[in-house]
Amino acid sequence: MASVRRFLLRLWSFLHADRAEMELAREIAAHLQLLEDKFIAQGLGAEEARHAARRAFGGVEQVKEHQRDTRSFRWLDGLSLDFKLGARMLIKHPGLTLVGGLAMALAVAVGATYFEFATLAVDPRLPLPDGDRVVAIRTWDTAAARVERRTAHDFLAWRAQLESVREIGAFRTVEQNLILGDGAAEPAEVAEISATAFQLVRVEPMLGRTLLDADERPGAPSVLVIGYDIWQRRFGGDASVVGRTVRLGRVPTVVVGVMPMGFAFPVAHGLWTPLRLTAEDHEPGHGPAIQVFGRLAPGVTIQRAQAELSTVASRAAGNFPETHGHLRPEVVPYARSFFDLDIGGRALYAINLFFVLFLILVCGNVAALMFARAATRESEILVRTALGASRGRIVMQLFVEALVLGAVAAAVGLAAAVFELRWLFAVLEADGGRRMPFWFKAGVSPTTVLYAVGLTALGAAIAGVLPALKVTSGIGTRLREAKAGGRGLSFGGVWTVVIVSQVAVMVALPSATFFVRRHVTQVQSLDVGFRAQEYLSVRLEANRQDVAAGGAEMSRPELRARFRAICDELSRRLSAEPGVRAVTFADHLPRTHHPRRRIEVDDAGPGPDAAVPHRVSTATVAPDFFDVLGVPILVGRGFHSGDLDVVVNQSFVDRVLKGGYPIGRRMRYLTGDSDAASTPGPWHEIVGVVTDAGMIGDDVAESAGVYHARTSGMEMPVHMAVHVNGKPESFAPRLRVIATAVDPTLRLRDLMPLDAVGSSLWLEFNFLGQVLAIVSAVALLLALAGIYSVMSFTVSRRTREIGIRVALGADARWIVASVFSRAAAQVGLGIAAGGFLVCVLTQAVTGLAAQEVLAVTAYMLLMMGVCMLACIVPTRRALAVEPTEALRADG
Amino acid sequence: MTSEERHVELLQGTLDLIVLRSLATMGPLHAYALAERLAQVSDHPLSLNQGTLYPALVRLEQKGWIKGAWQKTENNRDAKYYAITKPGEGELKRQTERWRRLAGLVDKLLLE
Repeated sequence: MASVRRFLLRLWSFLHADRAEMELAREIAAHLQLLEDKFIAQGLGAEEARHAARRAFGGVEQVKEHQRDTRSFRWLDGLSLDFKLGARMLIKHPGLTLVGGLAMALAVAVGATYFEFATLAVDPRLPLPDGDRVVAIRTWDTAAARVERRTAHDFLAWRAQLESVREIGAFRTVEQNLILGDGAAEPAEVAEISATAFQLVRVEPMLGRTLLDADERPGAPSVLVIGYDIWQRRFGGDASVVGRTVRLGRVPTVVVGVMPMGFAFPVAHGLWTPLRLTAEDHEPGHGPAIQVFGRLAPGVTIQRAQAELSTVASRAAGNFPETHGHLRPEVVPYARSFFDLDIGGRALYAINLFFVLFLILVCGNVAALMFARAATRESEILVRTALGASRGRIVMQLFVEALVLGAVAAAVGLAAAVFELRWLFAVLEADGGRRMPFWFKAGVSPTTVLYAVGLTALGAAIAGVLPALKVTSGIGTRLREAKAGGRGLSFGGVWTVVIVSQVAVMVALPSATFFVRRHVTQVQSLDVGFRAQEYLSVRLEANRQDVAAGGAEMSRPELRARFRAICDELSRRLSAEPGVRAVTFADHLPRTHHPRRRIEVDDAGPGPDAAVPHRVSTATVAPDFFDVLGVPILVGRGFHSGDLDVVVNQSFVDRVLKGGYPIGRRMRYLTGDSDAASTPGPWHEIVGVVTDAGMIGDDVAESAGVYHARTSGMEMPVHMAVHVNGKPESFAPRLRVIATAVDPTLRLRDLMPLDAVGSSLWLEFNFLGQVLAIVSAVALLLALAGIYSVMSFTVSRRTREIGIRVALGADARWIVASVFSRAAAQVGLGIAAGGFLVCVLTQAVTGLAAQEVLAVTAYMLLMMGVCMLACIVPTRRALAVEPTEALRADG
Repeated sequence: MTSEERHVELLQGTLDLIVLRSLATMGPLHAYALAERLAQVSDHPLSLNQGTLYPALVRLEQKGWIKGAWQKTENNRDAKYYAITKPGEGELKRQTERWRRLAGLVDKLLLE
């Protein structure tokens, strides 16, 4: 009761401070008067008595401060002042604001980006009406320990029996060519989906209608609903598209509706056709792989739905023990069903901890900068303490200053997070040409904003409170002993470790960036030895089902024969085109990564390690591959039809054969990873050597490679290179038309000029390179600021000492040496450690060429110079110390 | 920590009790008189600044255990006199008992 009363009175006193202040002043004045009266009565003069009274009473202002602290919530009052002061500090110390702010912004940005990404991946909010009630029914096969998707039988049972999940539907994704009237085919992901899906998502079509239950019946006319993007891109936004007939592979299909922009249910789809299941599909354990979804009935929890589902499942297990005894269906939030294991979700969240640690590390650095600043403000802090500010008040002030800085940084960081997410999604989408699931929106959710606020508070606590505690420790003693310029303050050995490791990171990170960039440039500027810009390249794919005209799946040999016939026909028709000079095929094209295999060569050659296994890149190519691409044959011959012999590249001769004469030598493949497990394959004779034609293995520059001739039809997928007159891209539409004419189910992917092949790889490396560059830049800034702070700090601490030394005749050299030595030692140590790191890292990857060693050394020297620049200002300050002034100054 | 800081800290735990006890036995007192009484009891007239009392006074008043009112002193000076209230007397009893128990316990420990 007393505590509640006190709380209310404190609040009242906080809001009505004036009255309480007047009362306090009056009471203290009366108190002093009574003391004075006593001293006068003891025989002191009036003036003496007043002084004695003050002494006996103690510091009036301090007493008032303590009384205020007890009386009201004064820290609240001081808080607004602290915020103002904090904002002023941002402007007054622009260097710290910029460096500390940038560093904290980066830490918040990466933390928030990852948090948002993990949330999107594990527990996203579906951007659908009542999206959190949409669920998936996933079946876990306990015997095989994997998700079982052939559940068409159960799908029907669930649809008929489940009360707690409504609007149950299913979908599967198929790749099909969408062919418009002009005959050009473009492959697309089509969702074969239950009509209920459109009731479930509650999204109205923009034009026409969605799918209907009637569309699912066998024998119903083939219909298609298209998405906004495809409507715009393929149909030019044609308003009369509804009713138009297109082809999906071979099947003529009528467009019945257009969905609005952004609609991509079930995952990232832009085309929808009805899911038609045959009677055979409904046999237990048969049918295609489907994914089942539904909506929880009003008021039903996911647990209740699970309970009902389990009952239905145990009934099914009783009826079909063979197929269903080991199946455990479960109701999961919709988006989560795309992750096979819940444990994966937890792991994704746990990685957040890494980013929190990164923030702590960064803010620890900012704390050091803040400490250096707080130390230069020691007199101010001492005066405030003398005036009665408690240690808590001062700590609070420095915390708020850090918080203001953190708030600005968090705002910047969140904006950067949105940018980062867009960037990340763009990179992920560019890689493989897949679109992100529709619930992946590049923006930050309120939860993420809250998380960022939490991160900021943590960061501010580290950056503000730690230095405040250090700077105020033992301040009472310093105050009494009148020792401003506190010898008690110093940067500890920990700080040396921090600076050294920071410089090391600063040296190592940009070097890593450099190597990533080198890789990108090497791929981009790789000389493939022929005129790649004259070729159009494309990847060919077909489904077993599609290739067979009847729709039934065909056996592997049948498929191979069929696919070979398609390729031959395509090649024949293309060769007949006036603009085409030649056509060839390969399983991997130049400028892309080739699979690596372990080989050994016969021991007839020179050199002690001739029989040691090597890893080489491999490619299987059509016999005319070298002729068509114009890759020069240096020694020996190219392929004959039906060749089992191999052609190797120049790097193979240089690296594997150590420059020995290659023709007639033999090589064979080793299976397994260790020598013990190796079982060698048959020997292949080397019959020719070609120039290095852009095989990328572990290293870009020299990748030893082996070519095999494929004469009996290529395995899918296969890459085709078409040598054309003029610009390759202008031939692309014509190629699509011809391919569609050969077989409407043949899908053409990654259609691009051969010199652009591998660009998604560059994009990924570029992303990595840019991220590394940003992190390096911040590490550099922090390290420089750290060195600068420590130097300034040292100089200001030692002004008095330097003054005395100068007065005693010390010369400038001594001053420079004494001020510089510590920083120089730290920077030197850091750079050495960084150089060591670079060597270890690069040795692990590829090793350094001579000029790269030079480049790294030059870079390290440059960094040394830059670090020393940070020392110039403080050193000049030290040199300018005048003995008389130094001694007069407080220290 | 200096000796004075230690002294204050020690006192703060018992200051409420001492103030309540003084007001209960001696009737309404102003801060000066309370401070003099404290110095008298502790035998260390200058060990503590008199101002130290003020936070304790405002805390006790806010808790409703004492009540302040302006009156004239014998010498016709203005002063704020604090008197113990009914809840304050109850609190004094509780605190005294607790203190005795604690002191007894410590005594016992020290004698063993």
